[in-house]
Amino acid sequence: MDKSFSYLEELGSSRNELIKALQMIQNREGYVSDDGIRAAAEHFSLSAADVEGVLTFYAQFKRNKPGKYEINICDGTACHIKGAPLIQEWISAELGIKDGETTSDGVFSLCVVACLGCCSLAPVMAVNGKVYGQLDRKKLIKILNEYRKKEA
Amino acid sequence: MAEIKFKIDGKEVIARDGETIRSAAIKANIDIPALCTNGIVSKTTSCFVCVVKDVKTGRFLPSCSACPSEGQEVESDTAEVRDMRRTALGLLLSEHTGDCEAPCMVACPAHARVEEYVRLGRQGNFEEALKVIKEQIPLPMSIGRVCPRFCEKDCRKNVTGKAVSINDFKRLAADLYYDKYMEELPALNGKTIAVVGAGPAGLSAAYYLRLKGYAVTIFEQNSEPGGFLRYGIPQFRLPKEILKREIAHFLKMGIVIKCNQKAGKDFTVDSLKSMFDGVIVAVGCWTPSSMRIEGEELALQGIKYLEDIAAKNWENLENPGRTVVVGGGNTAMDCARTALRCGGKVTIVYRRTEKEMPAEKLEVEEAREEGVDFLFLTAPLRLREENGKKFLACQKMELGAPDASGRRSPVPVEGSDFEIEADTVIAAIGQKTKAPEGVEADKRGNVAVSKDLSCGNMIYAAGDCVTGPATVVEAVAAGHKAADSLMAALEGRKEEEKFFFNVSRGHWRSLSREDLVLLRGDKVSDEERVAPEYISMEERRTSFKELFPTIPAEKIMKEGERCIECSCTGKGDCKLKKYSEQYKVAPDMFSGEKSICTVDTRHPVIVHDHKKCIRCGICVKTCSEVINKHILSAMKRGFSTVVQTAFDEGLPSYCADCGACVKECPTGALDWKIKK
Amino acid sequence: MAEIKRIKIGAASCGLAAGAGEVVTAFRALDLSYPVVETGCIGHCYAEPIVEVELTDGSSIFYSHVKGDEKNVNDILALGEENRFTVSAERQKLEKLMVTRLAGRIDPKDMEEYKANGGFSSLAKAFEMGSEAVIENMKKSGLRGRGGAGFSTGMKWGFLAAKKDTEKIMICNADEGDPGAFMDRSLMESVPFQVLEGMLIGAFATGASRLFIYCRAEYPLAIKHLKIAIDKICEAKLNLFPGRDKALEIVIKEGAGAFVCGEETAMIASLEGRRGQPRFRPPFPTDRGWNSFPTSINNVETFANVPVVLADVDAFTALGTPGNTGTKIFALAGDLKYPGLVEVPMGVTLADIVYTIGGAEKGAVKAVQTGGPSGGCIPAEEFGARVDYDSLKALGAIVGSGGLIIIGNDRCMVETARYFLDFTHRESCGKCTFCRVGTMRMYETMERIVAGKGVPEDIDFLEDLGQKIRKGSLCALGQTAPNPVLSTLRYFRHEYEAHVVDKYCPAKVCPALSDVAVEETKCIKCNLCRKGCPVGAISSDIKVDNSKCTRCNSCIEICPKKAISRVKKGTGFDSSK
Repeated sequence: MDKSFSYLEELGSSRNELIKALQMIQNREGYVSDDGIRAAAEHFSLSAADVEGVLTFYAQFKRNKPGKYEINICDGTACHIKGAPLIQEWISAELGIKDGETTSDGVFSLCVVACLGCCSLAPVMAVNGKVYGQLDRKKLIKILNEYRKKEA
Repeated sequence: MAEIKFKIDGKEVIARDGETIRSAAIKANIDIPALCTNGIVSKTTSCFVCVVKDVKTGRFLPSCSACPSEGQEVESDTAEVRDMRRTALGLLLSEHTGDCEAPCMVACPAHARVEEYVRLGRQGNFEEALKVIKEQIPLPMSIGRVCPRFCEKDCRKNVTGKAVSINDFKRLAADLYYDKYMEELPALNGKTIAVVGAGPAGLSAAYYLRLKGYAVTIFEQNSEPGGFLRYGIPQFRLPKEILKREIAHFLKMGIVIKCNQKAGKDFTVDSLKSMFDGVIVAVGCWTPSSMRIEGEELALQGIKYLEDIAAKNWENLENPGRTVVVGGGNTAMDCARTALRCGGKVTIVYRRTEKEMPAEKLEVEEAREEGVDFLFLTAPLRLREENGKKFLACQKMELGAPDASGRRSPVPVEGSDFEIEADTVIAAIGQKTKAPEGVEADKRGNVAVSKDLSCGNMIYAAGDCVTGPATVVEAVAAGHKAADSLMAALEGRKEEEKFFFNVSRGHWRSLSREDLVLLRGDKVSDEERVAPEYISMEERRTSFKELFPTIPAEKIMKEGERCIECSCTGKGDCKLKKYSEQYKVAPDMFSGEKSICTVDTRHPVIVHDHKKCIRCGICVKTCSEVINKHILSAMKRGFSTVVQTAFDEGLPSYCADCGACVKECPTGALDWKIKK
Repeated sequence: MAEIKRIKIGAASCGLAAGAGEVVTAFRALDLSYPVVETGCIGHCYAEPIVEVELTDGSSIFYSHVKGDEKNVNDILALGEENRFTVSAERQKLEKLMVTRLAGRIDPKDMEEYKANGGFSSLAKAFEMGSEAVIENMKKSGLRGRGGAGFSTGMKWGFLAAKKDTEKIMICNADEGDPGAFMDRSLMESVPFQVLEGMLIGAFATGASRLFIYCRAEYPLAIKHLKIAIDKICEAKLNLFPGRDKALEIVIKEGAGAFVCGEETAMIASLEGRRGQPRFRPPFPTDRGWNSFPTSINNVETFANVPVVLADVDAFTALGTPGNTGTKIFALAGDLKYPGLVEVPMGVTLADIVYTIGGAEKGAVKAVQTGGPSGGCIPAEEFGARVDYDSLKALGAIVGSGGLIIIGNDRCMVETARYFLDFTHRESCGKCTFCRVGTMRMYETMERIVAGKGVPEDIDFLEDLGQKIRKGSLCALGQTAPNPVLSTLRYFRHEYEAHVVDKYCPAKVCPALSDVAVEETKCIKCNLCRKGCPVGAISSDIKVDNSKCTRCNSCIEICPKKAISRVKKGTGFDSSK
């Protein structure tokens, strides 16, 4: 097996752990590459097709390298009716990327996700897991600028 | 083992313990459609075409997976259940694209199996090709010469170049083997049929009747058989020697043709009906339409002109001098080109522009090459004669708003009148049917028929006399249909209206090169379409010699390499098609986006056409559960679900030795590339 | 006078998102003589961050909207009057805090505190009465699964307990996927020991030897708290039941983002490392579940109910209505004053929840969506209805997991239904024809309608196909996916008709069917809207050019005079006309 995936050894060889394995790969690499799929397949004695089929079923897994700051816009019900589509539009306009894309400098990536469970603070988004609530345009631009400043 | 008794549509059925409703039903000869089960792999329960309704709970159950309980009652053939199944099939069809049949076959009025005979031609097997052609086209020598080639107009090759020269396959195959090939004829069954008219529709009807054992007698009013083929189409397009050879075969088959038999004089439809078990009326469409102008009687009637010349066998003809032909249809072209060959200087006068002309483009082109002049946007007003010369007063026209047929109607330009001086004026603006006594006519004068071409009382009608002037191939198709309907009626079968089911990727105009699926890969030739070698222009202008000789076999075989072979590899055993036909589901029952996927032709012998995939999962399970290979998997989810190999690398080469998925695929999504 | 004993800061996800982290830091920086602890969520999310000051006399003072600044902190430490937080008497009267009694009141990571508040006494009681008696008590309580289907928990456990001579599995469904529902997250974050106690009792009663918690990966804090709790439970050997020689295995499995995995057979497939596709039942999981072992799946809230039920079955059955016993936690979101969680006895009315508890303005609400995206929508006229499994079903809706989205008058029901369908059709696993293709065809039709391209036939089409998808789908996702459309068609058909016939969006929400206009009499020409417009659609004389406007609502939100609003399509200014 590709040595860079040797950490999979800590999991048993039962297929039950497949999703866990893919999560471990993604946690380390930020996404799951073809090599990651092959490594998981080898570890569990599955075919690569089988593993890819499982991986592509779940929305969590990324097949492309995400940006340094991953913006997740919640499009759950409460956020949606509180204007999540507009948040998405504003971010897209601000950063020039659409859902699932990464800025050319690799700093930001944008992903529209299902409910983040903070409905009472709608509309919300999370940047690398940090949740920002009750967004409006002003607040949003401010948050983005803070991250930009960190990069500058 | 325990037995469970339950009821399907009131009929008691017994299932073994653990057996599903559907499997018990099949054993009890109750047909329940299903696409996602094949009896080999584990249940998927996905297509929901197999639903039945539980009477007690009112719930719909997938019968491929649900096991019956003692005393349970389910419905499988109610309107509600059928509606659910139709919806499931309709939804599957709305994400399924392909071409069941090639567009050429669909376009052909007779639905001749074009792709098959072109393939046989490509392989040099013209004898077999002829057999395939004759399944739908009993007059391949004539049609191989005069057909306006509906097939070629819809040919996908038009996307990248010119259509495959399909009709020339027919002509060559017939020229080579027509005289040699004799169908296997069954013994006569004792029933007799009279056909009125020995034109293409009547001959076609007679042919298919005889193939099924009926004794046929054709009554023809002229001295020679052939109808429009003999008396309408001029010699240079269809030599009468060829027609004679073609009709001789009908006589060999035992079909009796009685010439010089005029309806209303020598017989009536009623008199025939009293002597025969059935009658097919195919008298054609021979009455010229009127120009409705003053002095009309001074003009020759186009169809009569052609008929007279044909009766003289295109010999010792008079020079018509300066000739004006009024009209823009095929008859007008034939008149013009005939007059030209008799030494005339010919001008065609037509009310609209060239674009609106109903005549075949090729014929217009040929007429122009031969020297026929055209006056477009010109309408005749009156005709007069002075000193043996004729003067046709005309008016210039311009195109106005589109009419009901979508054609822009011509509107006169004020004060644009002018006169054309001529020796001969021929009016060729259309023909009408004169329905024989004994059958009813519709508003337009054509023979009135029901959907199955019946006039009642075992009398059927077909061809131009039903439709008005049309093409030979349409007449042949109609004759075939009338024969089938008549035989069904005589044999007491209820012929259900054929549900023509066909999924299509779309007309070639809406497709690009990338959309073409080349199963034969780079073997599909991109060379120029084969061109016929016309006789010299001098000969064309002065004689009635056929325009060009039959294109030789080497060239036709090469032309066959150009064929894309558009039809589905799986059309013969496609379950989706079979059930959609059975449940009469049109492919466009639901419209909407198709999922984005491709046709994978990378494997040397297997095509993986994702656009045809209905996501039943049988291939995935066959590969994993039966073959233990796990090459395929469902990827993504929801509407985007697609069955693929890892990293979409394509099927490995060793799949060529297995093909289990190909065998089990209910559609043509996974199939051998080679068609048999 | 009572002294401060402890400072408690609500630091569940909702609190943290509102800034509780900064508040914790601020208090901790002061190096106080009493502890500052992070607790969970008391349900009043609208008031976060909330600080509870526990006094030596046993009473508490609550502060809401706490900021981490010096003044605010000092004010609280001085027990100031500002920002004190109280719950209205009307609300208190309706609430019945049984399951959430400890939520937000104790340190979720502290097992001793949980124990000190009665924790694990029900487990001890279970050991005492024996497994059969536990199941009997569960049956007697009438507790129905809180995940949505409402099946009797006692019966499900009974099925599993009846399986002999096999390994048995118990799964906690913590894949709270319904957008708008967050009670499970809150319970796991706030009272993880209580959820686990319920699971331990279940495992003891049924004989299960392996426990899985299938939790959404989007809930990192819940996972963290559960992990801590599991470690402490194992350390204390609470997972080694009397009479068993092997300790119970408890594993958290993180979901990977698939709504359909809330369906039990899909969840099992997912736990087996497969695509989360449901399969036909029977066999039911209690016969053939995870890796073919008999398996029982219960929801987080259900498990959290278990210690409460066992503590006093009679007290439990005294609450609610016959057939719908106990309490239910509802998550309130949408157009209301007090979004958050509330625990009430089954059978209170929707009006109680929406108006009295949620603080929504009467007359400003037109409907409530219950049961998440695949639930149903109930119009304000029906708010007299009691909230229980059976009453809501009769109205064409479901309790589901307990999400209640309050929909204000200014929302478009067609657009709302389109949104829900957008969610469900994208979450379809892709197996069954009706769900995979049918929901797509419905969605396309809804898209056309909100884009102003609908035709009257679309309404019948949606109704017909929606019914068929309901009848022809294998799992609950497909069976309920058309619900938002069908229920809005039932109660708000006129809105659909306005869209397809008059090409008019009554709520003026659908961009293709509305314009934006400035009310000149209200406008003070402050230019804020013009500066805020991202596309430069507002002229210097403050006119919105609808040919440029993207209907982003920025100006409407910015305007201090509320002079800008959506108007009927064609009535706004348009330079291209």
